[in-house]
Amino acid sequence: MKVQQHEMLMALKASRRTVLKGAAALSALAATGGLTALSPQAAAQSELRTQLLKIPGVGKGSPTDADWQKVGEMCLGATKASVKEGEFKGVELTFMGLNNQNLHNLLFRGFLKPWEAYTGAKISWIDLAQADYNARLQQSIATSTVDFDIIEMGAPFEGDVCGKGLTSEMPDWVKKQIEFDDIVNYLKPPVGTWNGKQYRVTIDGDAHNFNYRTDYFADKDLAKAWKDEGHQGEWEVPKTWQKVQEVTKFLKGKKFKGQDAYGYLDPAKGWGGFGFYFLGSRASAYAKHPDDKAWLFDIDTMKPRVNNPAWVRAIQDVVDALPSEPADQINADPGTTGFQQFLAGTGSMLAWWGDIGSNAKTSDSSVIGDVCGFSILPGSDDVYNSKTGKWDKLPSGPNYAPNCAYLGWGVYVMARVDSDPVKQKAAWSAAAHLGGKDLSLWTAAYPSGFQPYRNSHFIIPEWVAAGYDEAFITSYLKSESDSYNHPNAAIEPRIPGIFQYYSVAEDELAKIYAGGSSAQAGADAIAAAWEKITDKIGRDSQIKLYKASLGLVA
Amino acid sequence: MNTALPETAGKVHEPLMRSQAEANGAWGRILLWLSSLILAVIVVWQILYKASVIAVGFDTWRPVLYTFILWAIAIGAAQVLIRGERGKHALFILPAVAFTVAMVIFPTFFGLYIAFTDWNLSSLTGRHFNGLDNVRSLLGDAYFWNALRNMIYYVLFVLAQYVIAFGLALLLNAEIKARKFFRVAFLLPFMLSPVAVSWMIGKSLMEYRFGPAATLARHLGWDNPAFFTSPWIARLSIVAMDAWVWIPFIMILLLAGLQAMPKEVTEAAKVDGASPWQSFWQITFPLMLPVSVTAIVLKIIFQLKLADIVINVTAGGPGGATDTVSSFIFREYRDRSNVGYGTMLAEFYLVIIIIFVTLLLKFASRFMQRTT
Amino acid sequence: MSAVAERQAQRAWGGGYDAAKISARVLIYGALILWTIISLFPIYWTLTTSFKTAVNVMQGHLIPWIDFQPNWLGWRSLGLSPDTIGEISTVRDEFLKRFTNSIIASLGAAALAVVIGSLAAYGLSRFDYKFVWMRNKDISFFFLSQLILPPVVLAMPFLVLYKELALLDTRIGLILVYTLMVLPIVIWIMRDQFDTIPIELEQAALVDGCSVWGAFLRIVIPIALPGMVAAFILSVILCWNEYFFAALLTSTNAKTLPVMVASQTGSQGISWWSMAALSTAAIAPLVVIGVFLERYIVKGLTAGAVK
Repeated sequence: MKVQQHEMLMALKASRRTVLKGAAALSALAATGGLTALSPQAAAQSELRTQLLKIPGVGKGSPTDADWQKVGEMCLGATKASVKEGEFKGVELTFMGLNNQNLHNLLFRGFLKPWEAYTGAKISWIDLAQADYNARLQQSIATSTVDFDIIEMGAPFEGDVCGKGLTSEMPDWVKKQIEFDDIVNYLKPPVGTWNGKQYRVTIDGDAHNFNYRTDYFADKDLAKAWKDEGHQGEWEVPKTWQKVQEVTKFLKGKKFKGQDAYGYLDPAKGWGGFGFYFLGSRASAYAKHPDDKAWLFDIDTMKPRVNNPAWVRAIQDVVDALPSEPADQINADPGTTGFQQFLAGTGSMLAWWGDIGSNAKTSDSSVIGDVCGFSILPGSDDVYNSKTGKWDKLPSGPNYAPNCAYLGWGVYVMARVDSDPVKQKAAWSAAAHLGGKDLSLWTAAYPSGFQPYRNSHFIIPEWVAAGYDEAFITSYLKSESDSYNHPNAAIEPRIPGIFQYYSVAEDELAKIYAGGSSAQAGADAIAAAWEKITDKIGRDSQIKLYKASLGLVA
Repeated sequence: MNTALPETAGKVHEPLMRSQAEANGAWGRILLWLSSLILAVIVVWQILYKASVIAVGFDTWRPVLYTFILWAIAIGAAQVLIRGERGKHALFILPAVAFTVAMVIFPTFFGLYIAFTDWNLSSLTGRHFNGLDNVRSLLGDAYFWNALRNMIYYVLFVLAQYVIAFGLALLLNAEIKARKFFRVAFLLPFMLSPVAVSWMIGKSLMEYRFGPAATLARHLGWDNPAFFTSPWIARLSIVAMDAWVWIPFIMILLLAGLQAMPKEVTEAAKVDGASPWQSFWQITFPLMLPVSVTAIVLKIIFQLKLADIVINVTAGGPGGATDTVSSFIFREYRDRSNVGYGTMLAEFYLVIIIIFVTLLLKFASRFMQRTT
Repeated sequence: MSAVAERQAQRAWGGGYDAAKISARVLIYGALILWTIISLFPIYWTLTTSFKTAVNVMQGHLIPWIDFQPNWLGWRSLGLSPDTIGEISTVRDEFLKRFTNSIIASLGAAALAVVIGSLAAYGLSRFDYKFVWMRNKDISFFFLSQLILPPVVLAMPFLVLYKELALLDTRIGLILVYTLMVLPIVIWIMRDQFDTIPIELEQAALVDGCSVWGAFLRIVIPIALPGMVAAFILSVILCWNEYFFAALLTSTNAKTLPVMVASQTGSQGISWWSMAALSTAAIAPLVVIGVFLERYIVKGLTAGAVK
């Protein structure tokens, strides 16, 4: 089993290299078509994993509560090995998480029901709407009304929670049970750790990838028009933001399949801080220099870089592109842009989390399942070097810097269980169950709100056997894996209050996009507001934590 | 008129039992002082315990709450014992006063204290008193003043809502069939929750691509029916959604007023040969002024707190055009955990509103026969 | 009421059977129907959306069976569709728990508010109070001012207060804060009510030997009952839809419906059908109240509207 996986992984890495050499998306599909041929052993998967992926089966409609419970039951093996039946009888745990779209917490309920039946523990649930999550968490901490033992939490909050010593350190047996080494590199420490201690059971991987319409870029009429208008290069999927801009402006006013054609879609409306990630995705290739780990702040001073030429250029790009985007774009938040526009057939390019890809085929609202391609985020011909203040052209070609936005959800155990060893073991056992290797395969493959995050999730034959279209799933998984493992990935700072920075930036960006101020003036205002937040939270500690979050010694 | 009752009541009873009243008065005073003493002792005890000065005390303040309830009852009894009939009058208002004070006394003072701190929930060092810093940043905060200016527009739109609601109330008051059906139908929008209104109407019904409202607008010749992209259209759309919810509320108040109107007056006007138009302006409208003022004042107060729809549908955009003070405070307080500054914004806004509402009530009381 | 209203309306809109009257009729019914459509269409949209699949939502289909084939998708996600109603469903359990809590919290708060609010309103209407510098007018304003502060800034104070009182995540706690929220409106409405009840009735009772409270309970309450019902219904509606404090002060035991509605959005797009089904289920009890008790609302408020 292990050996086979390793071989699979090697195969995947090999093909990734060919992609990085600049193969076009279409040829990438062809290349990865050969990938499965390389590994016939993959047919011999573990029986359990095959069975798992048949619940309820791809194309059989959305899984229900009964399916979740079945999955939880089947994945109980690891728990049975480490916990005796009825060992946690009488233990009561409280679990706080989201209940988005009746997933997340409700999914966990189903998964943990067999676990509760076996161990005898009882879990009660605190469900939050995503919009309330940040405020609720911060206010609970500040008023010491933390009334939960286990929490579903994103890595950006680690500064606020782990940094205050509120979480329980992961015992070694949990590390073993969840096969910690299987997790993709960028989610390994320092992510999930604080002061060298491991806190997080990862259950999700997050990065922005680039979603595009293959039919747009295979269209002969558009290709002809592209040439006729005197554009440089072939009509193809843009690989740099410069090209994205050019294509977006080119498509303005054109028709495609009888509908208005649009290029890139910028979510211009805020989303409780989450909207800022989309500017980040546009800016990372300009601002994330391969020689420099930081891209949001100067490491030694926490001086914001958001008003440096790289970020201002990204903001200006959005301002320039908006007139070529759909008429209601200024009031479109990321959710609207992803699900009501792109999946429903409006626009041809979009940066989003992996949710778009996992929905493109399976969601009923998607009309682009057969014409959706994926790659890492576009790069830039030149990259800003904030040390020299100059734009560099890299000898290796365009600069790529995938935006590893949000770093995914994890399950954390709160320190308040530490005083009671039985409760502590119960809480960690529940967390480990949710972060189990086999269970995670199921969450990656079916609607759950979670994306692949383990090396073992990238075994394509498993997906194909489950009913996925091979070309599609290869393209999708490759874009995810390439983003996660990119050497120049732009990693999010896990400093306290990070969403305060994003939220205040959203307000200024809204003003800029509506024409209320220039890109530079608006960016300066964001920088000023960020300096204020840093001072309020405490500059010295922020500098220290920022360094730690980037894996630099403080 | 209001003063007539207590005096009459007093006169009936007072001469009969003067000596009894004096004895009761003594007992009442004892009860008053004793219960207050017990409450004070328990409160001080608990404060000292929580401050770790003494070792024995209650885990939570719940027992203090019970003591407060007992104290409120004792105060009520003492009032009756000391002041007889007038004490019984006080019993009417005491529960509401005691309840409100118990609920708001701590939040009010704690809130005032927070308003003068730099409390940011992410700060590892907690809150510090920072004097008038928050006021200074408030005075220079373009977002706050922008939101405040928007509030002026929003409040002016209450008049439009009032006019529509008045029209609907007149319609429902007219001689019509299926009156009950129309009344229930007109009332229903008030029952939909703001969350549902934001999503099912703002983000679905008025959606640019598939929303029926957009489709209708296209049929009516508006090529680009984007309801939330240009400042004034966005503002009007928000106002329209808010009006949809609240017009039934105003309408019901006005309808009740219309139905209570003495019929002789309008009939007399009819005999005098007044046209419907004249009779409305000279009789109905003036008679309806008091209830109109009630409806408008209540609606303005609700309008000043407008937030849910804005937060969900536009997040204050485009470029702050639909931002309200409440939705801005919401972002500051919740999204940015900027509790100290957010509270100062709200306290400042509260002062503005109280001044505004006081002036409004003063101005309105000219139209109303009763004192407010 | 209708005889009076109709006669009056007849006067107002012109009496004779002539062209003017007919065109007035057309206008009245035209306006009535127009506003009915405006009022009901969004609710119709919500109701039908709960039976739509994503494709029908995205294409803006309107009429079931003609535009689109109804589907139980939304109700199934709540475990309330015909095929899931018999099965164990954690989502339905969740929904029912919240539904029950919503009912308890809103009925409890409305009842408490109407009781203490009516007492206070009666006192303010009949007697002259003087507390330090505050007279009736100031006391009224004190109550009204509780309505003004944007609730968001009460988050931290109430969290701390409720933590210290061990009221977090309790239905009692929710009832108390909702009572505070609707009390000003109840007092405002009820004071108008009591102002219009002729004082002579109570005076007669007092002369007959009733105490003030006896007169209030036996004479005034029966007259003011419709008004109290009206205030009660308005309070129930406002409490039922309250979101902010529900999201802040509850976690597992006392959670209510509105938070669940809001949860249908997030990083996976929007489950329109589930949200519509939830909104429909959430509005249903209020619609029942509206249909059966609507006449009390108007009748109740009528008594106090015009002096």
